[in-house]
Amino acid sequence: MPNYSIEDILENPANTQGLYGYSGHIARINLTTGEVSDVDTYQYVPKYVGGRMICNRIFWDEVPTGTGPYDEANKFIYMTGPTTGTGIPAGGRSAAVSVGASNAPNMFAWGNIGGWFATELKYAGYDGFIIEGKSETPVYICIDDDKIEILPADDMWGMRVHEAQAALEEKHAHEFKSIVIGPAGENLVRFATLTTGNDSVLAKGGFGAVWGAKKLKAITVHGTGVIAPADLEKLDFLRWNMNNPGMKPSPVLHLDAIGTPGAEFPVKYDRGNMSCSPGCNQHCNALLMDGVSAFGDDLVNHTEKCVSICTFNYTTDIPAPVGMFWPTEQNYCAPCKLLGRDFPVPDFSDPHFEEQAQVVLPDKLDFWGPDYERGTIVNDLCNEYGIDKWEVVVWMMTWLSMCKTEGLFEGMGNLGCEHEIDVADAEFMKEFISNLVYRRGEYGNMFAEGMHRAIRELGYDKFSETIYHGRYSTMLGGKRTDLPVSLEAAWGSSMHWQGRGYEGSVEKPTWLAACINNMMNTRDAQTVEHFHAKFDYHAEAIADPYHSPHLIDAIIAVQNNAEIKDSVMSCEWQSPDPWWPEMESEMFMAATGAPMTPEELRDAGFRSKLLFRAILIRHYGRTRRQEVEQEWRVMQIPDTWNEVADWQQFNEMVDLIYEARGFDLETGWPYRETYEKYGLADVADEMGKLGLLPERPAERWSDYGEPPFVKFSENRKLEPDYEPDPVKASMPLEGAPPALKFS
Amino acid sequence: MEGYGNHIVQYSPEYSLCAGCETCSIMCGLTHDGFTGPGNARIRINLGTRSLMHEVLACQQCDDHPCYEACPKKDAAMRIDPDTNIVYIVEDDCIGCGKCAKACKFTPSRIQIRKNKSRKLWKAVKCDLCRENPEGPQCVKYCIVRCLGLSDDSVMLPEGVMPAYAQEQEVANA
Ligand code: SF4
Ligand code: SF4
Ligand code: SF4
Ligand code: SF4
Repeated sequence: MPNYSIEDILENPANTQGLYGYSGHIARINLTTGEVSDVDTYQYVPKYVGGRMICNRIFWDEVPTGTGPYDEANKFIYMTGPTTGTGIPAGGRSAAVSVGASNAPNMFAWGNIGGWFATELKYAGYDGFIIEGKSETPVYICIDDDKIEILPADDMWGMRVHEAQAALEEKHAHEFKSIVIGPAGENLVRFATLTTGNDSVLAKGGFGAVWGAKKLKAITVHGTGVIAPADLEKLDFLRWNMNNPGMKPSPVLHLDAIGTPGAEFPVKYDRGNMSCSPGCNQHCNALLMDGVSAFGDDLVNHTEKCVSICTFNYTTDIPAPVGMFWPTEQNYCAPCKLLGRDFPVPDFSDPHFEEQAQVVLPDKLDFWGPDYERGTIVNDLCNEYGIDKWEVVVWMMTWLSMCKTEGLFEGMGNLGCEHEIDVADAEFMKEFISNLVYRRGEYGNMFAEGMHRAIRELGYDKFSETIYHGRYSTMLGGKRTDLPVSLEAAWGSSMHWQGRGYEGSVEKPTWLAACINNMMNTRDAQTVEHFHAKFDYHAEAIADPYHSPHLIDAIIAVQNNAEIKDSVMSCEWQSPDPWWPEMESEMFMAATGAPMTPEELRDAGFRSKLLFRAILIRHYGRTRRQEVEQEWRVMQIPDTWNEVADWQQFNEMVDLIYEARGFDLETGWPYRETYEKYGLADVADEMGKLGLLPERPAERWSDYGEPPFVKFSENRKLEPDYEPDPVKASMPLEGAPPALKFS
Repeated sequence: MEGYGNHIVQYSPEYSLCAGCETCSIMCGLTHDGFTGPGNARIRINLGTRSLMHEVLACQQCDDHPCYEACPKKDAAMRIDPDTNIVYIVEDDCIGCGKCAKACKFTPSRIQIRKNKSRKLWKAVKCDLCRENPEGPQCVKYCIVRCLGLSDDSVMLPEGVMPAYAQEQEVANA
């Protein structure tokens, strides 16, 4: 039975510490046997806080090594956090882990998702669930308070995302909140997503395909119970203080043009602020209204953020002010305010204001020109089929554009399409994407496997490493800089704030940080590990980006914070606040009533990252060499200043990170004492048994060896070093987002 | 508004768009009972899962109050404030029969039933305009985008209601 009162929560015999905030139960649902059982949340908390930290622990404890994404043994582990549904800002989100289908090689992956689902689940009395096994026929899971049923989904199989959501509301009631997969997940498209009611998506990891393999179309939930935070006074304080909520009307914006002054293009662009999940006190500027449907429906409203905007126009990269990554106390505002273009008037008295406001100008890329309607159609295709826009927009579309320009498709027809290959053409995009979603023909099947695998199938050297001759660096006055046709970064993910390709306009310390974060991961980590550091350390980091102690500290903090955000439950855009380091522990305490110092919470984040590391080592043989090699290629593509990373110095930077993490330099494996220091002695024991605990060497290791071969670097050497092109240099930056406006 | 007393209204999207954050319902529950849930939110949001346009559902404080008329414990469980005409529930006297919820003239009903493990302890909950809270309507106070107000004079918030730190912020943000 759900909790119907505070007493119900506190009188749960398992709740020996009298914690508020949690619902107390995790549902274990086995799709093979149909069995449902109950797991006690309190065995994991407060040590594992909630969300991703609990997911990591359950994965470590329960998922056998050698498990592939589509195996019966794979589990989908989903958790809310103690703040979820409490009214503590940004707490409405939730996290999940599983063996991913999209990453390469397939490994443990993680993600998070907003929406109203997580809160509803807690009303039903559950903090999360573990989905095990696989069904033989299409099913969905219905959680109606404590009644959990596995029901046939034959009639929903094949439905697009919004059709499936509507069908569930129809079958049950409007109050039911659902997470569904679209046809892409059913057809095991590797980059298939999970989508919930307000278009909030868990896009990374390919969990849509994991569900597809389990024949799981949806989970729908309705709860009638309660959620009880511990400290209402503190909660009130957080509501009014986290990131200075605007507390002002937010009218629908009617825009008829976007772009920089002098280079606008016409749109019918109605936007509004929306919250991704209950209790948010900020709201992102993410509601796009009256978009054109890809399926002939009426005009549709979408939730569109970051990457979606590039579908409208991708003539240049995205410019970024230095202060976005390196704020000062005088000029800091939460990233959600930046996104919502709702940031306060800057404090011009800030001695660093000039440096802060400097914008790294975007490269000219000319992937596709402005067309608002095409953009909304591409977004709608992704939303309705349930596929990851990062894969589609940042990687597939740019690749199609660049390969076509370079003439690489000659003799290949139109890649199985009737329409001529042209990413600027909505009709081509509809055909190409629907072919892959339904795995039609040779190319449909190939691209359903994701760009990483499709490119290797087609021929890596040609389809990844060929130079695209259309990139011009604005920072270098129009000099042509080389870009490969494939914007691939590590582990089968596309680039993301890595100083080249997509979101390339960042300085070296910033892109090195992003590269380190992605390197130590299993997917693009940037969605929760956007790099930020205090401006105080900018000069040090710029002077010597590879050896800046403060940069190393900042990277470690960003990594730990990612775990904290996904566990206490907060969001990437509200947390952390560099000048309020206690914020997340205050959120935790307000929710649970249990003490938690910022240091203890930081250690919990560290612990979770260690557990993640142990999973990577035990399950996938992760080593230093493996991860440095993975990341190396992207850093061998010139940044906007035509610079690449240096092998010796990058390795020295990796040394500093490993030392700060308590890892052995040669293997990249944590020492026993590192595990023990963070309360993971049992993990150390297991690693010891498996021979995965390193011995401390007598002498400091520094045998970095030779850098791995990067075909693209070789291709670059064959190219003449281009002089600036005065025409390209003077071209207006029509792809840039609108100029910063101060409210 | 004829036929209705002073009640919570949602402003038009051209003035301010409801973001679907449900903060109003969460804070309504928390400020009344110390916990939150669908059973004690006196204000609910009809969430537009496809349209992403959200409709606020609040009691209209009807002049003819059929909910009150239907209550078998009228004037004990369900009462009318003689000064303001607010129809409110006194939980101690409520037997949780649900007749009021059924009688509400709106669909979905603006009255929720707060469950309990013991059926005997079920209670009806409905918007009382926070009549016992000197700060006035808490949903209005906490709505981030200020898309809620009172129907009578559309007062967004009585002055001095917000904590001092929040008032400073509003000034700073203005
Ligand atoms: S539930 Fe309570 S208030 Fe409603 S009709 Fe019954 S006794 Fe009256
Ligand atoms: S509960 Fe329904 S019937 Fe009663 S006053 Fe409110 S809106 Fe009117
Ligand atoms: S006025 Fe008070 S009781 Fe009524 S919905 Fe708002 S917060 Fe709840
Ligand atoms: S608090 Fe305001 S924006 Fe949020 S759901 Fe309620 S009315 Fe809408």
